[in-house]
Amino acid sequence: MENEVVMKIRGLTKKYGDVVGIKDLDLDVYKGEIMGFLGPNGAGKTTTIRTCLGLLQKTSGDVKIFGLDSHEDSIEIRKRTGYLPGDFGMYPDLKVKSILRYLLSQSGVSDESKMKGLAERLELDLSRKYGNLSKGNKQKVGLVQAFMADQDLIIMDEPTSGLDPLMQQKCYELLREEKEKGKTIFMSSHILAEVEEVCDRVAIIRNAELQVVEEIESLKEKMGKKLEIEFENSVDPSIFAMEGVEDFEMDGRKATMIVTSNLDEVIKKISKQNVINMSLETFSLEQLFLTYYSGGGKG
Amino acid sequence: MKIGKTMWMELKNRWKGFLLFILVVVLLVGGFVQAYPSFSEAFEDELEGSENIDIEVLEDRKNVTVKLSWKEIVDAENYSILVSESANMMAPLDRVDGVENTSHNCSLKYDEKEGFPERYFAVVAVIDEDEKELVGMGMNFERTSPFQEIWGVDYGDIQGFLSILWSTWWILLIGLYIGYISVNLITKDYEEERMDVLLSKPISRRQYLLEKFSIVSLYTLALLVLVGLVLVASAYSLGELNSVSSSALMISSVLSWPVFLVVISISVLAGVYLESSRKAVGVSFIFILIQYGVNMVGDLTEGLEYLKTYTIINYWNYEAALYGEAVSAYDVGFLLVLSAVLIVSALVIFDRKDIPV
Ligand SMILES: Nc1ncnc2c1ncn2[C@@H]1O[C@H](COP(=O)(O)OP(=O)(O)OP(=O)(O)O)[C@@H](O)[C@H]1O
Ligand SMILES: [Mg+2]
Repeated sequence: MENEVVMKIRGLTKKYGDVVGIKDLDLDVYKGEIMGFLGPNGAGKTTTIRTCLGLLQKTSGDVKIFGLDSHEDSIEIRKRTGYLPGDFGMYPDLKVKSILRYLLSQSGVSDESKMKGLAERLELDLSRKYGNLSKGNKQKVGLVQAFMADQDLIIMDEPTSGLDPLMQQKCYELLREEKEKGKTIFMSSHILAEVEEVCDRVAIIRNAELQVVEEIESLKEKMGKKLEIEFENSVDPSIFAMEGVEDFEMDGRKATMIVTSNLDEVIKKISKQNVINMSLETFSLEQLFLTYYSGGGKG
Repeated sequence: MKIGKTMWMELKNRWKGFLLFILVVVLLVGGFVQAYPSFSEAFEDELEGSENIDIEVLEDRKNVTVKLSWKEIVDAENYSILVSESANMMAPLDRVDGVENTSHNCSLKYDEKEGFPERYFAVVAVIDEDEKELVGMGMNFERTSPFQEIWGVDYGDIQGFLSILWSTWWILLIGLYIGYISVNLITKDYEEERMDVLLSKPISRRQYLLEKFSIVSLYTLALLVLVGLVLVASAYSLGELNSVSSSALMISSVLSWPVFLVVISISVLAGVYLESSRKAVGVSFIFILIQYGVNMVGDLTEGLEYLKTYTIINYWNYEAALYGEAVSAYDVGFLLVLSAVLIVSALVIFDRKDIPV
C-alpha cells in the first residue's frame, strides 16, 4: 500500500524564457504520505506545483497524477485534488461563505459540512467580507477551500504563511488528520522545522534542482541542533570536545555549538555547570545546506 | 451540471453596477425620446406669415433680381422690406423703406456673381407712425432642419429621430460600458489573484471563458430588450405607435446586439492576452472610439462615406429595422462570425497560457 505512487514527476523542466524555474525534476509522492517540498526563495517550488496542476505549461518532462497526464487530463486530476496557492486572492466584496460555496460547487460537491467544520476549527468567521479579513484569516480561507471538498490529494504552497504559531499548530494537526484518513499531501515550505514537524519525507531543491529526497527520520539524524548556552562562570571549552559537537565557539561566558549527535552527553556535561540561559534550535534550511550540501555535494 | 456557476458568481459580484447602468440607460433613452416633439417641429417649422409672401429669384449674366410680392394690407400707408442672414431679422443687411402701397411687390437687384446667397426677407406694413405690422417672412432657399445639417437625418419622422440615437451615442454609451465590464471580468481574476484558485477547480478554461462571455452577452441582450420596451412605451405615450410599429422599435434595438457581441469578444480577447485591466480597457476603448470616429467622419464628409463600410456599426441595419424593411441576414451573420472568430482566438490563447501569479 505504501508504494502506490500518487504523483510521478519525471524530467520536469519549466523555463520562463531564459530563466529556469525547475530543471529536470524526478520525484515520486506516495499515497498516504505527507511529502515536504523544501527550498529557499526562488528555488522553484511554486513553479513545480503550478506546472503539476496545469496552470503553467511545461517545457519538457512528464507528470502523472493518479496515473493521469498532468496537462491532458487536468480536469480529472483536479476533481481529486485540492490546492492552496502560495499567493491568492478571492472576491473582496463577497462574503467568505458565498465564495466558499461557489468554489465547493465548482468541485462538484454539495455537502458543506466539512467546510463548516474546518472554518469552526480554524476560527474563521464565514459571514465576513473577504476583503476585510486580515492576512492570516485570508490564509485560513485558502486552507478551508483546499480541504473542504475532501479530495484524495492536497497540494499546498507554503500553507502556514501568515498564520500565527497557534494556527500553525492547528494547521499541522489538520494535515496529520487528513493523512490518517489516507489522504496524500504535497506541501512546499522554506522552513526546515515545519517540514520536520509534519512531513514523512522531504524533497529539497535549490537553484531549480533537486538536491536530495530523504525520510524525515534520517534527515533528523543528519540534522544538527544549534545550541546556545549562557553560563554563570566561564567554562573550560574542552569539556565539549566530543563526537557530534561541531563549530564550537566560546564568547565570554556564552557558548554556541552545533550538536549532531550525542545530545544526551552534551546535556549531562552542561548540567554540571551553572546555567543562566539556554536555547536549542532546529537548523535553518541555510545551515542545513552549509553543513551538508555545500561545495556542490549532493546528499 | 456545473454550468452557469461562474456566471452566477459574477452576477452576485457585479449586480449593483449592472443595475445602475440599466437605470442610467433607461433614463437616458426615455428622456431622449421625450425630445421627439421638438425635433419634429424643427422640421415643420415655417416662417411667420410665409403664406403671405412670394419670392422669385431671377438671374441674368450680370445680376440677380429678387422679386417679392405680398398680400395687401388694406390700411397700410407703405411697406418696409428687411433682408437678413438669419430668420430673427436681427442686424438686417439691407432695408428698403417707403415702398408704395399700390404695388404689393418690389424688386431688389444684386450684382452677385456667384449666384444669390441664402437670405431671409421680411415685409412690414407701416400703418401710421406708431403702428407697424408684419405682413410675412420668406426666404429664397429650401430650409433644412438643424438635425438634418448636423446628423444628416432626412426625415422628420420618429424613425429619423431614433436613427440619431442609434447612429451617434449608442455605440459609445453601451459599447464603452460593456467593453469595460468584459475586460474586467477576466483581468480582475488575474489582478486580484484568484485565477489560480478558480482554475484549480475541475472546470475547463474554455468553460470559464465562455461563461464570462455569456454573462456580459446575456446582460447586454436583456438591456437591449429593455431599451426596446422603453422605446415602445415612449412611442405610445407620444401617440406615435401608428407611425412606427412596436416590433420595429424592438428589432432596431435588439439588432445592435451583434455589434456589441463583437465589442465583448474583442474586450475578452484583449483581457485574456494582455492580463492587465488598464491595457486591455485601452484596447477596447480605442476600438470603440475608432468605430465611432470613422462612422462620424463618413457621415459628415461626403467623399469619405465609403469609410463607413469598414465599421461594425455599418452592419447594424437600424434604419431598415425602423422602417419595417427586411434586415440583411448577411450583415447580422457577418457580425456573429466576426465575434465567434474573436472569441475562439481568445479560447485558443487562454487554453495554452501560463497563468501569471
Ligand atoms: N513568471 C515568471 N517569469 C520569469 N521568471 C519567473 C516567473 N516565475 C518564477 N520565475 C523564476 O523562477 C524561479 C523559481 O521561482 P519560484 O516562484 O518557483 O520559486 P519558489 O521556490 O516558489 O520561491 P518562494 O519561496 O520565494 O516562493 C525564480 O528564479 C523566479 O525568479
Ligand atoms: Mg513560491
